Amino acid sequence: MNGVSLSRWTMSYFTAALLALLGTEVLMVAGFGFPSHGIQAPETLVLVHLVAVGWLSILMCGALNQFVPVLVARPLVHPELPVVALALLISGLACLLVGFLRMAGYPVGALPWLPLGAVGLTAGFALTIWNLGRTMWTARPIGLPAWFVVAGLVSLAGVISLGTIFSLALGGWTTNSTLMRLTSAGIPFHAALGLGGWLTFTAMGVSYRLLAMFMLAPEEEHRTSRIALLTGSASILVLLVGGPLCLLILERSATHPLVISLALATVSLAFYGYDIIRLYRTRRRQRIELNARMAAWALGGLGLATILLLVVTISGEIDRRIGAVAFLLAFGWLTGLGLAKLYKIVAFLTWLECYGELLGRRPTPRVQDLVDEPRALPWFWLYFGCVGAASIAALLDGSLAFQIAALGMLVATAAICKQFISIRTLGSVPASMLPDDAVARLRLFLPILQQSRR
Amino acid sequence: MSDANELVETVREALRVVIDPEIGFNIVDLGLVYDIAVEDGGIARVAMTTTTRGCPATDYLRDGVGAAAQSVNGVHRADVRLTYDPPWTPDMMSAVAKEYLGFGQ
Repeated sequence: MNGVSLSRWTMSYFTAALLALLGTEVLMVAGFGFPSHGIQAPETLVLVHLVAVGWLSILMCGALNQFVPVLVARPLVHPELPVVALALLISGLACLLVGFLRMAGYPVGALPWLPLGAVGLTAGFALTIWNLGRTMWTARPIGLPAWFVVAGLVSLAGVISLGTIFSLALGGWTTNSTLMRLTSAGIPFHAALGLGGWLTFTAMGVSYRLLAMFMLAPEEEHRTSRIALLTGSASILVLLVGGPLCLLILERSATHPLVISLALATVSLAFYGYDIIRLYRTRRRQRIELNARMAAWALGGLGLATILLLVVTISGEIDRRIGAVAFLLAFGWLTGLGLAKLYKIVAFLTWLECYGELLGRRPTPRVQDLVDEPRALPWFWLYFGCVGAASIAALLDGSLAFQIAALGMLVATAAICKQFISIRTLGSVPASMLPDDAVARLRLFLPILQQSRR
Repeated sequence: MSDANELVETVREALRVVIDPEIGFNIVDLGLVYDIAVEDGGIARVAMTTTTRGCPATDYLRDGVGAAAQSVNGVHRADVRLTYDPPWTPDMMSAVAKEYLGFGQ
């Protein structure tokens, strides 16, 4: 088999993720959570998990269900699992958020929300890891981008293991001293494995392939890319092994493994940055599309966040400034990249859904005809501008300025979502190019009606 | 030009209706069609590739090429074979396609 099928539920993953992003931004505008509340306040935990799980992780899982088969040229081993995983992830996240609200004193009932949330999220992520892992296993040997995804999934397993322990401890289901020690001192590992190992490292791997594909750049495996993979994987390994080793066996502080992991991650990011600059420079497609131009801004956000993280670590300001760094990483890099790539992926999947079977039978529009870049561009600029302003406000502890900048982010994100709806409803396609049964085919966020025939 | 060669060129022209949706240009000028032959009995054999292995559009492209080839008078059946040997590179594009994508600017 040469072609791979469309993943039926990818659009539903994207819709759920975008709703979580909009919800997060509404909370930030309202002054709920960081920086109005402390970095470990329950309100901030609501915000952090809504963005990290609801938006970024569900987006990543939906994208991987579609693109791991592209990376390894094999279909998903279990195409029926993504819908089950999505239901578990959404219900698990809802329970987790209610559990944090209960910690903040909101009257939400006395159910064991946090452990219930852990069960749902662990099951949902475990199904995703199993499905993607088996798909890559059947395609051995796999290429370099897929190895980044493998390392990212290992990291995800670490994140959910720690998260489950935290939920059981905070939910009062365990008083085991080892687990309590992990809960009190393991949060930096949970966060680093989540934002760094799982989300950033996986996005790096996928971007090697996607950027090369979309810009017609040479897809060669360079020594620098292998160094980026090895040092990044080592960074994840230090977090997974070094953290528990220091905290539980050596009974020392977590500083050493965190610093070593950061140093390795910095080397990995430096080589990745070098590779990506070479990729942009050697691209054959000179006129690049909006998604590739905006991805460059997101990559700039990653570079800035890395430099900022190094500066606050060296200056001893990390405890005070880590919130601002995490914000820039989550919204400048990951969200920026996510929105930019969604602009392409939603159009591509919609094209396949509406026009794939018409190829060779009648003239068809290009994927690019489904988008309206001049209309979308100002909203992307507004988004990145407001993320920059919000990051500075967070660094300077300016809560009101942060809320105003978050309002700009919310407006921009809503406008970009409107563009996605326009793409899904073929709003930019000339009437003469619309498929005959367009109305019957268009399903905004529900599963794709027709699968590829093979 | 012999009848067979003429038929091959007619098939090639018909395949221009098939575009690579992502690049937005016809697959003939993109260099994705490696070989066309029309055998006795009106059997068109097309060897083609895609810009990237594992592309979700692969099956649609192959079916589309088959449909376009069969639409030609004198072709009764189309046999489309997908190959990645040699792998496609942007250098295989025609001058028209390169100009469309802004190569060398």
